[in-house]
Amino acid sequence: MRLLVIEDDTTLRETLCKQLVAEGFGVEQAADGREGLYFASEYPIDLAIIDLGLPEMSGLDVIKELRANGKIYPILLLTARDRWEDKVDGLSAGADDYVVKPYHFEEVSARVNALLRRSGGWASSIFNAGPVSLDTSRHELKVNDETVDLTSYEYRIIEHLMMRAGEVISKTNLTDRLYDQDFERDSNVIEVFIGRLRKKMDPDNSLKPIETLRGRGYRFALERNQSD
Amino acid sequence: MSSLSARLLLTVSLLLVVFFGATILMLDVAFRNAGEQAEEDILDGQLMALLAAAEPNDVGELVMPIGLPEPRLGTIGSGLYAALSDAGSRPVWKSRSSLGLDVPFGPAPEPGVHTFSRVELADGTPLMALSLSVEWELASGIFMPYTFSVAESLDSFNAQIARFRRQLFGWFAAVALFMLFAISLVMRGILKPLRQIEAEIGEVEDGTRAALTEGLPTELDSVARNMNMLIDSERGRSERYRHTLDNLAHSLKTPLAAIRAVLSEQQGNSLTDKIEPQIERMIDIVRYQLRKPASLVTDTMGVSKIAIEEQLERLVDGLGKVYKDKNLQITLSVDPKAEFRGDTGDFLELSGNLLDNACKWCESIVEIDVTPCGKGGMRLSVSDDGPGIAADVAGLLLERGMRLDESAPGHGIGLAVVKEIAASHGGELTIGQSPHGGAEMIVVIPAKKT
Repeated sequence: MRLLVIEDDTTLRETLCKQLVAEGFGVEQAADGREGLYFASEYPIDLAIIDLGLPEMSGLDVIKELRANGKIYPILLLTARDRWEDKVDGLSAGADDYVVKPYHFEEVSARVNALLRRSGGWASSIFNAGPVSLDTSRHELKVNDETVDLTSYEYRIIEHLMMRAGEVISKTNLTDRLYDQDFERDSNVIEVFIGRLRKKMDPDNSLKPIETLRGRGYRFALERNQSD
Repeated sequence: MSSLSARLLLTVSLLLVVFFGATILMLDVAFRNAGEQAEEDILDGQLMALLAAAEPNDVGELVMPIGLPEPRLGTIGSGLYAALSDAGSRPVWKSRSSLGLDVPFGPAPEPGVHTFSRVELADGTPLMALSLSVEWELASGIFMPYTFSVAESLDSFNAQIARFRRQLFGWFAAVALFMLFAISLVMRGILKPLRQIEAEIGEVEDGTRAALTEGLPTELDSVARNMNMLIDSERGRSERYRHTLDNLAHSLKTPLAAIRAVLSEQQGNSLTDKIEPQIERMIDIVRYQLRKPASLVTDTMGVSKIAIEEQLERLVDGLGKVYKDKNLQITLSVDPKAEFRGDTGDFLELSGNLLDNACKWCESIVEIDVTPCGKGGMRLSVSDDGPGIAADVAGLLLERGMRLDESAPGHGIGLAVVKEIAASHGGELTIGQSPHGGAEMIVVIPAKKT
């Protein structure tokens, strides 16, 4: 998952990016509205975090511009202006949620995850696909109502795959989710994790929840339940 | 005497009274003088006729003939009297008209002098008298002094004057009334633009009009233009003020956020534990102070009616996104007769906080109902199907006002702001039970008294 952070305050931007990377997101950053708009338009982004008060071009204008150009990924608005007038302006312009400064990182992280989940097509925080059920708020995986014990790496991978159920997720993308950017990457590790996940979720190999597409990546293959 | 037209009317009336009064006085004096002059001429003529009629008798005394050319002298009580007296002021002859009357002709004048005098009969009838003393040369060659006197009653003269005055007053009164009427008509026309300005300023205050109409008469046009500039700058002032606050908020909160972010990397450090609560307090104070109602800090000039439904729809749309996971069923009903006059930001603050709370606490149902309160007011009710607020807690929430350290999460600052904005518009916030089981927040903003 690639996030874009547009924030002019250096300390705030760098801290936020570091924290997001630690959560397993790939992060691009921009320090002003114009640069931000460039990144947001040209890079494959899954979600943008945009500050309202930016130099060069206001956050509101960046959002309007992005929406006008047909970008549909979720946008989280960061704002120091917490009058409702400003919040409503931001939401009307095309933001999907807002966090008022000064925030706790947990707040930002929760909103980001909720927005990503929603943009993956999940309406609730519990993903149900056939006998598989993933509770993203409790980090709990159940198959046929039985809890499956997962390490945090394994959880991140299954969460990512299920969030984009039906889509092909590249190995690189999954690696991003596992490690902070600066770590050395070893794609074999992903294969190991996927193997363990398959064994834990599907010991008798009857469900086949995770599909391998050679050279392209992986796909969560079970149909989502209709009620979601 | 606050009305211009009343002032003008009074001044004009006073001027008319003074002007017409002086005119009447002058005309009266002139008419009287002319009348008296004519009266004197008549008396002079009568006197000359008497002089011509007088003749000496055999003994050398002057006598008047029995029949005189002027018939009024021969008629008793005719009002015209004549007498002839000798040197000792003894009457030699009296006209028949003065029979039974003692007509005082005034003192005898020096010989050769006409003397007019005002005299009265015993019954008070005013007379004008003319006496002339002559030295009459008798046949014997002796000069004898005689005094000829005539007098005429002024009754008819006075009656004429009185009639003249009545007519004069009548005409002038009619002219004055007509002029007052005409002037008040003209004044209405002249003052009409002033009334228009007055009405338009009222509308600007009400918020039903944005600016005064320009293109008035030259003298007033600059007034209207200046008023419009004032209104504009007033509006600009509140915008600038809001802008300054926003910038202040931004420049305070961003570093606070940075401090918090840095601290969050130092979890468990004892210094962090001490600083963190202080930062929380600063944040709360900044949030609360910067969301105070605009009406407290700016004048009410140039406020306008808020499009209540449109603003609420924007809020509902926005909150719908934020609370997408909750499957909210928000119903919005706005009576178009409900009005809110003031700052759009204040209205959004008021309804946004209530709506946000309702969305936060509800299961799924949020109901917004706006009805009019009097003419020009509104009653905003936001109810939900959440756990509700117990009556004692509600009382506490409302009573407490702004106590930062105690404010309950989710209710603290928002409700304090709502309460304060409502109060600044002369209204209030009450907390009740919604029919759906949750809380019902009601804000009543009464119509402004102007």
